[in-house]
Amino acid sequence: MESFFEWLQSLSVPTWVSESDSIWGFPTILFLHSVGMGLSAGAAFIIGLRLLGIGHPLPVSSLRVLFKIFWGGFVLNFITGSLLFAAHATTTGYVPMYYAKLALILVGVILLFPMRRFVDSDASDGVIPARLKAVALVSLGVWIGVITTGRLIAYFS
Amino acid sequence: MNLVHLHLLLNHVPTIGTIVALGLLLLAFAKKSNELTRASLAIFFAIALVSLPTYMTGYSAQRALKDRPGISAPLVEQHQSAALLALIFMEATGVVAWFGLWQGRKPTGTARWSAPAVLALAVVTVALMASAANLGGEITHPEIMSAGAPQAGEGALAPAVLKTAFIAKYQFTHPMAWPTLEAIHFIGLSLLFGVVLVGNLRILGLMRNAAFVDIHRWLPWGVLGFVINSVTGMLFFIGQAFQYVDNPAFHWKVLFMLLAGANVLYLTLFDDVWALGTGEDAPSSAKLVAASQIFLWVGVIYFGRMLPYLGGAF
Repeated sequence: MESFFEWLQSLSVPTWVSESDSIWGFPTILFLHSVGMGLSAGAAFIIGLRLLGIGHPLPVSSLRVLFKIFWGGFVLNFITGSLLFAAHATTTGYVPMYYAKLALILVGVILLFPMRRFVDSDASDGVIPARLKAVALVSLGVWIGVITTGRLIAYFS
Repeated sequence: MNLVHLHLLLNHVPTIGTIVALGLLLLAFAKKSNELTRASLAIFFAIALVSLPTYMTGYSAQRALKDRPGISAPLVEQHQSAALLALIFMEATGVVAWFGLWQGRKPTGTARWSAPAVLALAVVTVALMASAANLGGEITHPEIMSAGAPQAGEGALAPAVLKTAFIAKYQFTHPMAWPTLEAIHFIGLSLLFGVVLVGNLRILGLMRNAAFVDIHRWLPWGVLGFVINSVTGMLFFIGQAFQYVDNPAFHWKVLFMLLAGANVLYLTLFDDVWALGTGEDAPSSAKLVAASQIFLWVGVIYFGRMLPYLGGAF
């Protein structure tokens, strides 16, 4: 693993990200990562809250576009997150908080599928099943966890 | 013109403005006018926004005066904690005023408690603002000072936890305080941004199967995100004020935040989006406002993220 992290970090783009003083390097990637967070976690928050039964008159079927926004933010953050990791692989690679964040993202993405299936179904504007409400509640907690662990990586390095 | 001038200019807005808005609200009660009530609530909301930079620019004034002879440091500190207490009540007034405007849009009609609640909060705010303003005036206007130097604790209603030094010391002695506030700030950002997206994307033409009335029901969640981030943001500011007061990224961030905050009123006060039914297309003027609102919030994120890189914050 150690040699992999060192190899990753020595590549030209990660080296530029970590060493360049340009505003277009590390700072801009960090900004894009925050926007991606706003898109993904923001969409996940609205989906989760609505499936809990909050904001009732809003048709559940209108949430469909939010899944697209979620994935847009997800792709952006997969790219920017990979760059941020590669730039500091030899340190971040040993931070447990980083792996906690990745694990929570995995859980969050898995939980989106049953929610998506319900929102896409013809029954979406009917009664929300209790099990799906439980999924929505856990999903909200998981995305709060992703943001929190992500923010704490810098403090547990 | 610098930030000290700005402080001396802005500080009249919460002191005089709240009195004017309070008078308007009383007039609205006397005339039982819904329109006047709404106007008064909108003014309270606007003053609450302007009060944030009023408080912040006070730190520039404090630094400009710090080493001048005849300036009483304890008096400056008293002014500061009195101002923070007044700010807290001002922001609470602004949030309840916004909530009253939002409730007024419900099909069931205006709620009865919000305007009286604003009235009660505003009365307290006016008193606290007067106290803060009086202490502030005494800092550099010896002609109005009561005989002798002001006594420690005189005129200071604010409890010890509102002292800047206390908040900064707490953050310093609790190493997890700052990271915790940051995590909460990011959660608030995502909540706010999620509601901003839902509200404005509908106006821009996505989610057409929702009527705007249904979208409007979500706005308090966005305002909750805004409140979470104002509180955590002010705690960052108070804890480490001098890494922000001269930071150009911070100035831009506050400017964008004020414009975006004022922009939120458009969704509640104006009828052109309100009438938007299922499947209907918004007028292009509304689309322009919606696009500008998304742009402004992305700008707030940009300048927030750039605090360490365009300025000297950590």
